[in-house]
Amino acid sequence: MFRKHLIALLIIPLLAACGSAQTTSPTVIPTQPATNTQPPATSNPAITLTDGLKRTVTLSGPAQRVVSLAPANTETLFAIGAGAQVVGRDETSDYPATALSLPTIGGYSGYNLEGIVALHPDLVLAGGINTPELVASLEQLGLTVYFLQNPTTLEEMYINLETVAKLTGHESETAALVDSLKNRVAAVDAKIKAVSNTPTIYYEIDATNPTKPYTAGPGTFVDLLIDRAGGKNIGAELSSQYPQISLEQLVVINPDIIILGDSAYGETPAKVSARPGWGTLAAVQTGQIYPFDDNLVSRPGPRLVDGLEALAKLLHPDVFK
Amino acid sequence: MLKIEGLSVSYGDRRVLHNVSLEVNSGEVLALIGPNGAGKSSLVRAVSGVVPVESGHIHNGDLSYRYDLLTLTSMQRARCLAVVPQAASMPPAFTVWETVMMGRTPHLNFLGQVSAKDEAIARQALQKVDALELSERRVGELSGGEQQRVLLARALTQSTPILLLDEPTSNLDLHYQVGFMETVRTLAHQDKLAVLVVLHDLNIAARYADRVALLVDGEITAAGTPQQVLTPELISTAYHLPVQVIPHPFANVPLVLPGNK
Amino acid sequence: MKIRPYLYTLIFLVVAVVLSIAIGSVVIPPLDLGRILIGWLDRAAFPEPLKTFAFILTGIRLPRTALVLLTGAALGGSGAAYQGLFRNPLADPYLIGVASGAGLGAVLAMSINWPYSFWGLLAVPVAAFIGALLTVFLVYTLARVGKVVPTTNLILAGVAFGSFATAVTTYLMLRSTGELHRAIAWLNGGSSQAGWEPVLAMLPFLAIGLGILMLSGHALNLLQFGDDQAQQMGLPVTQARTLILVAASMATAAAVSFSGIIGFIGLIVPHVIRLWFGADYRRLLPLSIISGAGALLLADVIARSVISPQELPVGIVTALVGAPFFLWVLRRAKNQGYW
Repeated sequence: MFRKHLIALLIIPLLAACGSAQTTSPTVIPTQPATNTQPPATSNPAITLTDGLKRTVTLSGPAQRVVSLAPANTETLFAIGAGAQVVGRDETSDYPATALSLPTIGGYSGYNLEGIVALHPDLVLAGGINTPELVASLEQLGLTVYFLQNPTTLEEMYINLETVAKLTGHESETAALVDSLKNRVAAVDAKIKAVSNTPTIYYEIDATNPTKPYTAGPGTFVDLLIDRAGGKNIGAELSSQYPQISLEQLVVINPDIIILGDSAYGETPAKVSARPGWGTLAAVQTGQIYPFDDNLVSRPGPRLVDGLEALAKLLHPDVFK
Repeated sequence: MLKIEGLSVSYGDRRVLHNVSLEVNSGEVLALIGPNGAGKSSLVRAVSGVVPVESGHIHNGDLSYRYDLLTLTSMQRARCLAVVPQAASMPPAFTVWETVMMGRTPHLNFLGQVSAKDEAIARQALQKVDALELSERRVGELSGGEQQRVLLARALTQSTPILLLDEPTSNLDLHYQVGFMETVRTLAHQDKLAVLVVLHDLNIAARYADRVALLVDGEITAAGTPQQVLTPELISTAYHLPVQVIPHPFANVPLVLPGNK
Repeated sequence: MKIRPYLYTLIFLVVAVVLSIAIGSVVIPPLDLGRILIGWLDRAAFPEPLKTFAFILTGIRLPRTALVLLTGAALGGSGAAYQGLFRNPLADPYLIGVASGAGLGAVLAMSINWPYSFWGLLAVPVAAFIGALLTVFLVYTLARVGKVVPTTNLILAGVAFGSFATAVTTYLMLRSTGELHRAIAWLNGGSSQAGWEPVLAMLPFLAIGLGILMLSGHALNLLQFGDDQAQQMGLPVTQARTLILVAASMATAAAVSFSGIIGFIGLIVPHVIRLWFGADYRRLLPLSIISGAGALLLADVIARSVISPQELPVGIVTALVGAPFFLWVLRRAKNQGYW
């Protein structure tokens, strides 16, 4: 009896491993690194920078095989024109669409170190969402890692774009990109100056418990961008970054507009109106409930400007056509 | 032999034993009787080192070779006296053999490695209690009487000159009670052990003990032969119940009957 | 001494080790594996892809196998020890708060911005380790009555303290500004960095802790009869129980500090060993140590291959696979009085 159990116990993992090997495509190990298609923009040989963890990172030249560990980093890389130099991404990186064809190397529930190593990257671009332990592990495996600290303002985000540009040899394109972003932001600022009303906004992050939903607090980009777009985030007075707010408080504050940052998880204006106790909210009665792509305001990359423009359009539709 | 002198034990503020003095000679069975709450089990626990003692001495051996058990470590004390507890909630998964072998602990190293000599002693102990054929059975499968015999064998395996038994017959039926006490008495007499048995049943005590001691409210009120201790006056006073004592029909011991004419 | 139980469990462990080295998200064909083993001494001259394969084996798989092996050994051994100490089939290594204390220590350490350096990164596992041992010490002290530490008190104090620590940890996580994902990552998978450092850091505590446990089999057997009878048979009960408690807690604390909180192994592996090989702790302890290592290795292999290239947290696999397996073994066991 015992022998049968033992054999069963050993067969299970073999089956699991064999099964997975057939259904998922194994990471292809190139026998030689792919030749790079993007010539470096400057002729600076060595690149030495200090990253967000105060580590000194040195590259012998612009990186040609980059693995991105965060969706914002992936968006940044593609936005500055370095998309052809990216060889791997984390599984939550879904923008732009061309990134989807890149091999994945896990996500924040577990990164696939073997897969990363097998891609032979010359640069691993980590972000605020990655732990220092992960950076240390990759370092220990002999990889070059650059930790891009999460920006807290748009200016810091521009600096991050310029940093990634230096790492990948796209300084001139990025300068143009940053200029265009700044112009778009300035345009929003100018129009907001002329606006007289400041609607109160409730930005919903999670409402699994509709009597105590999660909203965005101070120190988040959501808060910053709502403010910049001429609105008042009701979460700004709360005490942590992702606080829970009670329905009672929400009723008392009675926001003008409800923005559903959790629409990707299936929340719709109809569902919100149907929630018990929510019918008294002015926003529900006037139908000012809008689904929103949370990625535009939560990923600290260039699309924050898209997010700003989207918010401005929602908050002041008369001014932003 | 076991010599208890002036033993006093308290649980917190409550005194359970006052100045108890008792002697059990080698080759003798002493029955300790008394009403509930008198302190009989406390005496066994105090002598075996499970509860701390306030004052008194416990000596082992005759006058030429004695030392105070209270000054010994558990290991050393376990080589002098062994305890047979009630057969209640024994770990059911061990076999009889494994259980009995644990009695050798005070003579083994801390890893519990046994030699052939230890095994021989265990086998002999099982034979003495007539339980050798139960060796490979799991303790959980045994009857109460069989379990009690296994515990006796374990205590015998400890190879001590002193044996303490705490109400060993309480859970046994008549057949097992008699059988068990017969074995205890035979072993005490043959192997010259000093045996102290705590008993509930006065007539079992009369039948199988050489001497009897009466413990009431933590004090020894009488000690002597069964005829000397099992008298109507002493027993009625101790148990708050009128009793009659008549001579046993076929054994030369008193027979205690509760109630009056 | 019966050889067969040790033989079977050692074979199990060896097979688990081999699987753990051979299987990963990067598929290394067996032929290449063979070539690597044969040409090991000249591995610097390997062509691609062998060179990358060899690097993955030595740089990632081997240290991870060692880490998981040690963790499983610690959990199996201390699970058996705790079940013996508390005479309770539901006991597991986290009974008196080691896991909650470690979690609290880790999260507290994460709320401080240590510089990124060798010592800075060591702060979290060290804080977890200290948190774990401090909790055990506090629980032990709270449960003590005079010179004795009653078992029930220990369990109650442990449960109360553990709940308290977990609540504080959850509160800290909710109020965190950015360390939330790091705390969750730690709770699921520990501070396990690649490389041999975690293994070397754990090793002394495990060697001492498990070494003491392996020698405590006889004492645990005696303790099954209750503290009174164990003492009457010659065991210095308080010292023995304290020593075993400290040894088991130390091994668990070291394992948890580097591997996170993995359940089920410490609870179920000793029971399976009992069902198959009996309840003698002199055998149960070493067999639980070996089998715990093997079981966790197998769970880890499943965790990293079943939805490759993504990884499941190993704690989920131990429960998902372990529970049905144990129930199956229990149903078919012939001896019902195995406990």
